[in-house]
Amino acid sequence: MEIIHLLLVDDEEDFRTTLAARLKKRNLDVTDVGSGKEAIELIRKKPFDVAIVDVKMSGMDGIETLKQIREINPLVEVILLTGHASVEAGIEGIRLGAYDYLMKPCNVNDLLIKVEDAYQRKLFEECHTQ
Amino acid sequence: MPYSVKITMFKKLNLLKRIKSRKGTFSCDNLSNVFRFKYSCFKMLLDSNTEFLKVISDIEEKLQGQQVFGMSYVRSRAAQAVFHTFRMVKNLDDLSGHRYSLLFDVLEKINLSIKEVLGKRKEIPQTELILPYRQINAEMVDWVGGKNANLGEIFNRVGLSIPGGFAVTTRAFESFLAYNELFDEISRKKMEIIPDNPETINAISKDIQQLIVSAYLPPELEKAILLAYAKLAEAGGDGKSPDFPFRVSMRSSAIGEDSELSFAGQYLSKLNVPSDQLIQAYKEIVASLYSPRAIAYRLNKGIRDEDIAMSVACLQMVESVASGVMYSRNPFNLLEGNIIITAVWGLGPYAVEGTITPDSYTVAKNCQIITAEISHKTVQLVSDSEGGLVEIPVAVEFRDKPCLSPEEIGILVGYALKLEEHYKCPQDIEWAIDKGGHLFILQSRPLRIGKQNQSITPLLTSYPLLIEKGAIASAGVGFGPAFHVDSDEDLMNFPEGAVLVARHSSPKFVMVMKKTRAIITDMGNVAGHMASLAREFAVPTVVNTKTATTVISSGMEVTVDAYSGRVYRGRVPELESFQSTREFPMKDTPVYKVLREVCDWIVPLHLMDPKSPNFAPSFCRSLHDISRLVHESSYTEIFQLSDFVSDKKGIAFKLKGNLPLDLYVIDLGGGLRETSKNLNRVSLDKIVSAPFNALLRGMMHEDFQQNQLRPVEFKGFLSVMREQMLSPPSTVERFGDRSYAIISDKYLNFSSRVGYHYSILDSYCSQTPNMNYITFSFKGGAADDIRRNRRVRAIAMILKLIDFVVEAVGDRVDARYQKHDCSLIEEKLDIIGRLLQFTRQMDMLMSNENSVEALAKNFLAGNYNL
Repeated sequence: MEIIHLLLVDDEEDFRTTLAARLKKRNLDVTDVGSGKEAIELIRKKPFDVAIVDVKMSGMDGIETLKQIREINPLVEVILLTGHASVEAGIEGIRLGAYDYLMKPCNVNDLLIKVEDAYQRKLFEECHTQ
Repeated sequence: MPYSVKITMFKKLNLLKRIKSRKGTFSCDNLSNVFRFKYSCFKMLLDSNTEFLKVISDIEEKLQGQQVFGMSYVRSRAAQAVFHTFRMVKNLDDLSGHRYSLLFDVLEKINLSIKEVLGKRKEIPQTELILPYRQINAEMVDWVGGKNANLGEIFNRVGLSIPGGFAVTTRAFESFLAYNELFDEISRKKMEIIPDNPETINAISKDIQQLIVSAYLPPELEKAILLAYAKLAEAGGDGKSPDFPFRVSMRSSAIGEDSELSFAGQYLSKLNVPSDQLIQAYKEIVASLYSPRAIAYRLNKGIRDEDIAMSVACLQMVESVASGVMYSRNPFNLLEGNIIITAVWGLGPYAVEGTITPDSYTVAKNCQIITAEISHKTVQLVSDSEGGLVEIPVAVEFRDKPCLSPEEIGILVGYALKLEEHYKCPQDIEWAIDKGGHLFILQSRPLRIGKQNQSITPLLTSYPLLIEKGAIASAGVGFGPAFHVDSDEDLMNFPEGAVLVARHSSPKFVMVMKKTRAIITDMGNVAGHMASLAREFAVPTVVNTKTATTVISSGMEVTVDAYSGRVYRGRVPELESFQSTREFPMKDTPVYKVLREVCDWIVPLHLMDPKSPNFAPSFCRSLHDISRLVHESSYTEIFQLSDFVSDKKGIAFKLKGNLPLDLYVIDLGGGLRETSKNLNRVSLDKIVSAPFNALLRGMMHEDFQQNQLRPVEFKGFLSVMREQMLSPPSTVERFGDRSYAIISDKYLNFSSRVGYHYSILDSYCSQTPNMNYITFSFKGGAADDIRRNRRVRAIAMILKLIDFVVEAVGDRVDARYQKHDCSLIEEKLDIIGRLLQFTRQMDMLMSNENSVEALAKNFLAGNYNL
């Protein structure tokens, strides 16, 4: 099975590192960064399959990060995370091309399933854009 | 978004993928990828449909007005409804190759209207950390929780005495958590919970509670609590009585969708708290939001942490001489009209805990004591000078003495009547009497009437009983002349004030729900669509009576007792007083009006008939319309997809075998043994998919092999033909359409159209019972609406009897069976295989209502040849 290249973007360090560690255990290639800006830089350099992006970040927020990621590499599927009851942000996100959105806290298994789904979607999109 | 349901749904949908990924590389020319993509859209759509319907039923319940809720509830529900509708539209649009983009605009228009309604009511954000009760009323539930809001209401609007005190608001709760950055910390810890493993829940609960209890209050909050306490103590006469130092009780008053939970006393309350333990007690009560049971409850119900908050009630401790509970009506006999009081010496907990038998009084509204059972009370609970409570013996001369004097009983009865009048529903009241003889109300909440399926009104033998037992779809009492409804025309002619009598329930009855006094049906489901409408309109409704249309003739005057599921002939004066009490306090509030308005954009369903030309995006006027349209269309899309793929060599194989079906098999991996890319046919022995084999076993059951299908009854056949000729060509499905099985070793998705019906079966069958499931949808059929519905009801009945969870709406049945051993899953698939064959013969035989049950019984008895 091909390994999934995942980018995790969240300015909440505790949460991010814990999640990254847990996802790595599940055999994912995880890179984690603490800001939208860093994420954009990485997306330019490296091919990722899926990005998990927190909506509420200081500086560049999750929606803006999503926009820019999709601009640079539309094949990266983005899953939005939100710690707050902002359905509006979820809708806005999906409208802008996010794969789906999840509420924090989320169970790692659910997140993993969502990542795999997004990855499948990415492979599909790849086939259809070539 | 309710989470747990989502989880299971996505677990399921992912199985398909994991099976495939294990097989290795993803190849672009493989059309099964298209399948996987589209099926993932389909499942997300179904998932959101389920969530959306849950939101609707929840809103309907709140619209009855008996539960308190605030603007945050209205906002979050509206947002969820919009989100799930959006997700449905998005997935249908993706699934169909973007042929439904128009729906986005329709949705956006409705969304804007909802926002407009919500925007009208500007909330004044509450910034106070502490609120005294004289400033609190029922509308402030978002800031002070249900218990506090009710106490404020009782004090300020009902005008009864409550102990002095104040509420520590949810604003205080937020500032406490924020000050310690606990939101994120709790989120992080909660991630480690494995929902079906109670041990992880216990461990995480302990961690989180520890975290909260050891955190510090923001200095301004601590100051505010202590100051409010000092003021209370001063007013409460602290220091005047050396025997009783001033103490408070601190009770949880949570907000959120957890009325069940607080009802069950799951959150902490502390009695007799001295000033130096005040802050600690506050933290412990906040921490009780994360007790293992509270966490598990919220996981199960899909309630998010963002939607909960803890306010605390801080009340002067009433050093009660006697205390107890009072019901403003007998919960097991509403007709009695008497008040029930239980009383103990000392503090209240012993009145409810069952430690001792309390005195028990039945009192008429005019204060006449009907029965008084004075028990032998040896112990009582009192405040301990160290804090907390202590059990002491009751003085010998008081042990057999009544706790209440007739005067006190008189005052209590007066309170009960006032509370019931104010809340417009029977109340469950906690009270206490102090040394000075002052009576205080400690809590009042809606009385839980009876238990499920239990009669709460007695059988009245002096009136002719027409129906002894039906299922209660909407409680209440209604009197009027019966009017039979068999057709749409009957609905048009429905007289004001009549009682509707029909063979089966139908959402169409909504047209007359404002005119009708009650509804009685032979068949029907309390969880059905009509039942929820009846509840919304507060129409007393009894369904599934079996005999209503036979024993009640048109014009006969009847009294429907939808508290106990009975119908009497004529007028029953004893029940009449229950007819009109349908107004509830929430209904007068601005928040209720907003919910009502928002609901108009969410709940009403106008798109009823998929065959109507109006069943189209531009006719959608509510989110319910959109979701209905999307749901319906998604099935069509899935079939078109299958049709498209079935002609491709090496992808779909036509199944060779003695089956009366045009069946194509699409293997996702491991479902077939050694197939050749060049063949387009496959024989039965090549199938290794466990669930598919089980289904085929049933379909090929010898009883179906030996006999030809039963010759169609002439009359039945004619009606099938007529329908086929009269229906517009686009909606007539062909006989003998293709069926598809999408399989892997452990997975099966079987979709078939036989005759006029379609069915979709989805199943996973592995060694891990928790992952196993069957979902089955069956819709439509030949013949007219009535026969079609009969068949659907017969299928629903069969599935229910073999342990499926079943929902039947109109001419569709949706059934679920999950988390069982693979042997059981296979057994059920075998039965469904037989059922699919059996149903081919069924609608011709549905000539009358009795055939529904007869057919179901025949099937289960193994008589397949009709």
